[in-house]
Amino acid sequence: MKRLAAPYGSLIDREQPIQFNFENKSFQGFAGDSIASALAANDQWLLSRSFKYHRPRGALTMAGQDANTMVQLPSNPNALADRETISQGLAVMGQNYSGSLEHDRGSLLGLFSRFLPVGFYYKAFFKPRGMWEKWAPLIRKRAGLGIINQQLEPDYYDKQYKFYDVVVVGAGPSGLQAALTAALDGCEVLLVDENPSLGGSLNYARFDAEGTIGTEVRDQLVQEVTDNSNITCMTNAVVNAWFADNWLPIICGKRLYKVRAKQTILCTGALEQQAVFHNNDVPGIMMSSAAQRLIYLYAVRPGKTAVVVTGNNDGYANALDLLDAGVAVGAIVDLRDRPNASPLIKAAKKRGITIKTGCTVYGAKQYKNHLSAVEIRQIVSPGICADSGETINCDLLCMAVGYTPTYQLACQAGGQLSYDDKSAMFTLSNLPDGLQIAGSVNSHWDLEACLADGARAASIATNSLGLSQAEVPAPIAREKHSPNHSWPIFAHPKGKEFVDFDEDLTIADIVNATRDGYEHIQLVKRYSTCGMGPSQGRHSALAAARLVAAATNRTVAETGVTTARPPFAPEHLGHSAGRSFYPARRSSMHYRHLEAGAQMLQAGAWYRPAFYGEAADRDNCINREVRNVRNNVGLVDVSTLGGLEVRGPDAGEFLNRFYTFGFVKQPVGRARYALLTNEAGVVIDDGVACRFSDQHYYVTATTGGVDRVYQNMLKWNAQWRLDVDIANVTSAYCGVNIAGPKARQVLAKVCSDIDLSAQDFPYMGVREGTVAGIAARVIRVGFVGELGYEIHAPQQYGEALWDALISAGQPEKIQPFGIEAQRVLRLEKGHIIIGQDTDAMSNPMEVQMSWAVSRKKPFFVGGRTISELEKKSSSRSLVGFIINDRKAPIPKESHLVIDGEQMTGRVTSCHYSPTLGKPIGLAYVQPQSSDADRQIIIKADGGVLVTADLVPLPFYDPDTLRQEF
Amino acid sequence: MAELKPDQAARRSPLYRRHQALNAQFEMVGDALLVSRYGDTSMEPRLAISLGLADLSTLPRTGFKGAGAPKWAASQSVQLPEQPNTAVTQPDGSLIAKLSHQELLIVSDVEAKSSLVTRLNQHKLPAATYSLPRADSHSWLAVTGLLAAEMFSKICGVDLRTHKFAQGQIAQTSVAKINAVIVRHDLGTTPCFYIFSDITSTEFLWDCLLDAMEEHQGVTIGVAAIRSLAAGE
Repeated sequence: MKRLAAPYGSLIDREQPIQFNFENKSFQGFAGDSIASALAANDQWLLSRSFKYHRPRGALTMAGQDANTMVQLPSNPNALADRETISQGLAVMGQNYSGSLEHDRGSLLGLFSRFLPVGFYYKAFFKPRGMWEKWAPLIRKRAGLGIINQQLEPDYYDKQYKFYDVVVVGAGPSGLQAALTAALDGCEVLLVDENPSLGGSLNYARFDAEGTIGTEVRDQLVQEVTDNSNITCMTNAVVNAWFADNWLPIICGKRLYKVRAKQTILCTGALEQQAVFHNNDVPGIMMSSAAQRLIYLYAVRPGKTAVVVTGNNDGYANALDLLDAGVAVGAIVDLRDRPNASPLIKAAKKRGITIKTGCTVYGAKQYKNHLSAVEIRQIVSPGICADSGETINCDLLCMAVGYTPTYQLACQAGGQLSYDDKSAMFTLSNLPDGLQIAGSVNSHWDLEACLADGARAASIATNSLGLSQAEVPAPIAREKHSPNHSWPIFAHPKGKEFVDFDEDLTIADIVNATRDGYEHIQLVKRYSTCGMGPSQGRHSALAAARLVAAATNRTVAETGVTTARPPFAPEHLGHSAGRSFYPARRSSMHYRHLEAGAQMLQAGAWYRPAFYGEAADRDNCINREVRNVRNNVGLVDVSTLGGLEVRGPDAGEFLNRFYTFGFVKQPVGRARYALLTNEAGVVIDDGVACRFSDQHYYVTATTGGVDRVYQNMLKWNAQWRLDVDIANVTSAYCGVNIAGPKARQVLAKVCSDIDLSAQDFPYMGVREGTVAGIAARVIRVGFVGELGYEIHAPQQYGEALWDALISAGQPEKIQPFGIEAQRVLRLEKGHIIIGQDTDAMSNPMEVQMSWAVSRKKPFFVGGRTISELEKKSSSRSLVGFIINDRKAPIPKESHLVIDGEQMTGRVTSCHYSPTLGKPIGLAYVQPQSSDADRQIIIKADGGVLVTADLVPLPFYDPDTLRQEF
Repeated sequence: MAELKPDQAARRSPLYRRHQALNAQFEMVGDALLVSRYGDTSMEPRLAISLGLADLSTLPRTGFKGAGAPKWAASQSVQLPEQPNTAVTQPDGSLIAKLSHQELLIVSDVEAKSSLVTRLNQHKLPAATYSLPRADSHSWLAVTGLLAAEMFSKICGVDLRTHKFAQGQIAQTSVAKINAVIVRHDLGTTPCFYIFSDITSTEFLWDCLLDAMEEHQGVTIGVAAIRSLAAGE
């Protein structure tokens, strides 16, 4: 492992060697090394294979901004080797190869590239008809990168909210300055950077011939920032999107921060762009900034002999850095005919570097998957080279031909990206209020200009927050010379001049897309897949826009770029999914159910006992519970039922308007069935309304429907403005239903202050008193078709109430029963369950609930529609059926009722009735089929046709003698 | 003295099994059975200064709403908050929180010495004034400590940092997707936030809070630690 001497290597700790594996071979790096830097230090440059042609790929940006470095880790695929740090024993593998990384059989595909033109998939696989089905498995097998370890236990990911006056994205020179200025004005500032340390380009770029200014500025700014208590710094953190009102999702480690900023300042810098020439993707060819990162951050010498191809003066700085690091510089190949004067150029000349102006790298050659030489040619006209040139042997080519602003977040915020033909550069404008940009994302390149721009953006932000009245400095003038070359694109007869490294797209691919008629940049993207790879067009957008513009005779400004959508960087599914909250509601009797062996089910957020006993013995358990209710007494937890207090002088009138029945004249001490319809006359809920006083009703609602009922009540009362108060007290009351012929006998043992006799407390009566010394509301109901009392008590007394009733009922053989038994019991009694036996179209007449609709009152919600529906004949009716064939399978909910080939209805409920000894059910059928002597055919599981007899409802106790017992 | 067992009381906190599992010791505070402390640690008060979680669900509380509620409450010799979403501590230690122009939440002091809740509950209510069963509809948890706001930021979208969320301020918000009323009610110099939320979701919320607290080494605390913090010990 060869490393440059300190101070090179600002991110590594040479005292902490770390051993790791790549491709099953052991390597050593230092703490702080990325996988790519550690491998580079060991002369391992080949990292992965490209997606389409399996071309060898190595580090391109060393900044986690490209797909070249995607590797496989045990925990996740597609890890960015230039972003992920090494750890002891880490096992890293390359991706997307057949055979070995060094000798990939898949690379033979490159030989057939001319048979795989742009839009190949669209062209090749849709004809003849049906061919896609044959191709799809093959294509899908090759698609995708990496392997997901499905055995892996997911790590713990979570989320956190943060709040700041100002969030500064990017801790380069402008970001540091912006944060400092805002903080000095009294703002709470969050400074976020995706890199491990503050400083941005100050950590690796060369701003002057001597190479000292960057470090000096960085040290001073970083010191001031870290000393300022108003600034919170977050490194290794990516602001992955901009959402309305400066809502910023920031990913840091295994946490997603949801940050609210009053003001956001984007100092996101710029992304260096590649030159486009033959074989420009070979390992050893990288951005000039990547080479500088290797040198300064990781103390890695990026090559032995380098050539720098440049369109700006940064290339000269890069060459000086290479020389300082001991890399021989074969030549600086400057695309410009006449480079503008600069101390950097002077210094390069002084140090004897060969400078070739008006030239470009026309092509690259490789040997053993690494750069071996470049061919230099004179530029004749934009994109056109002389017929011949010279070859320079080298193992490193640094590209410094221009930048694009890191515009993604700004564009997500609505910023407009424009192209300036003069500077050959994208610029941003039309930013929303509360968002500023500064530094090179704002097209400033000079260090002093970047610092001034950062301070200015902060001034605007602090003024907007009212924390400063200082005059905002005038906009900083843009530098005279652009760092972007207008056309660093050179077609080659042999092609392989890559525009998009992710998808292996060349110049010809982009141009041919336009020739196939896809001229709009968005269509080019979809047709060619340019910009659709993991790096999302970071390094292809500019070149593609230029090529499309030229091919369609438009300007780049007219051509534009594709939409930059979130996320900015790939994120783990864990960041979105991790530590989600799924609220769970438990009644106060929950643990008594568990102790009694209940199998619980979830209904919405509620846990409810389905039945008591072994899961494998489900049917027997349910049948046993049903029989015990019919013969003795059972106890069911109904705490999940909705409870609504409706109080006030107009309470009766309110319910009269809200539900279908009449409530104004409902006597105190009585309950009344309450059926709720919506404006369309559709049944949406039911319950009972208990009148405890003239101005007080306690209304129950279904478990799943109570929230909607409550919201509807509030909505309607906001319109009606009646003198009534509505409160949702569902959670305040637990409830049990003690039901069965011995229910009164049991209840009487623990309830001494309510006369439970049938005369004094008849069916549908309500009383207030105590049960086992607990204040309770007692309602005589008959949902399960037996003598029954619903007891509603304060929630925290629920367990004591349950215990008292179970204890008191032992001589009467009381047993708890669950939701499943309750469903059977109510089915036997012919009672419907809203939502199960009704759907989004069910009106009261269809479900045989006309009796619950008052025709005497002037208005109720849905009344007008119902009266109109009553004038028409129904297309369906809910009826009861019995299956007398003992060998027939029991139909399930939603099984179809058929008449020949016609579907004429469906089953809504069906269960074996222990009381009747045969399956019973409810089904929607066509009205003419609802005659009691008719039969229906149900298509059960496996297509088995089951004959069922229609019978009048209820199935059990038609004279309702038992519930009124 | 016989050991107090929560399942011997008729009124039980939804969390009592959690407390028993944590080896809690209980004590009577007024008519309420509360966790006194967990295990035999004497560290609770000190740890609570950093981050603590207590269950006060069995303590008295009530609520009133309606157009007549503010006027009626004002006639009951209490100090009412002027603005909605603020709370005022009464001279007897109880707390009145104004949840809207027409809705009040009244909670006992942690020693249950105040008789305000009982007195108001027994009062015959005038027209347009309606009682709310807050003692049973909502659990009552307390999060104490300097790291409370940082912990909350993992499960609640409101900025509860003490320089942003003042003493007596109320947030009616969502905590771990549970509707909750958060009231800042410091104990001595230690930040403290009361959480009133759906009582049937209390165990879920308790678990979420403990999970969020783990990173900060937060601990469950009993009323003894609350008492200690309130006394500024």
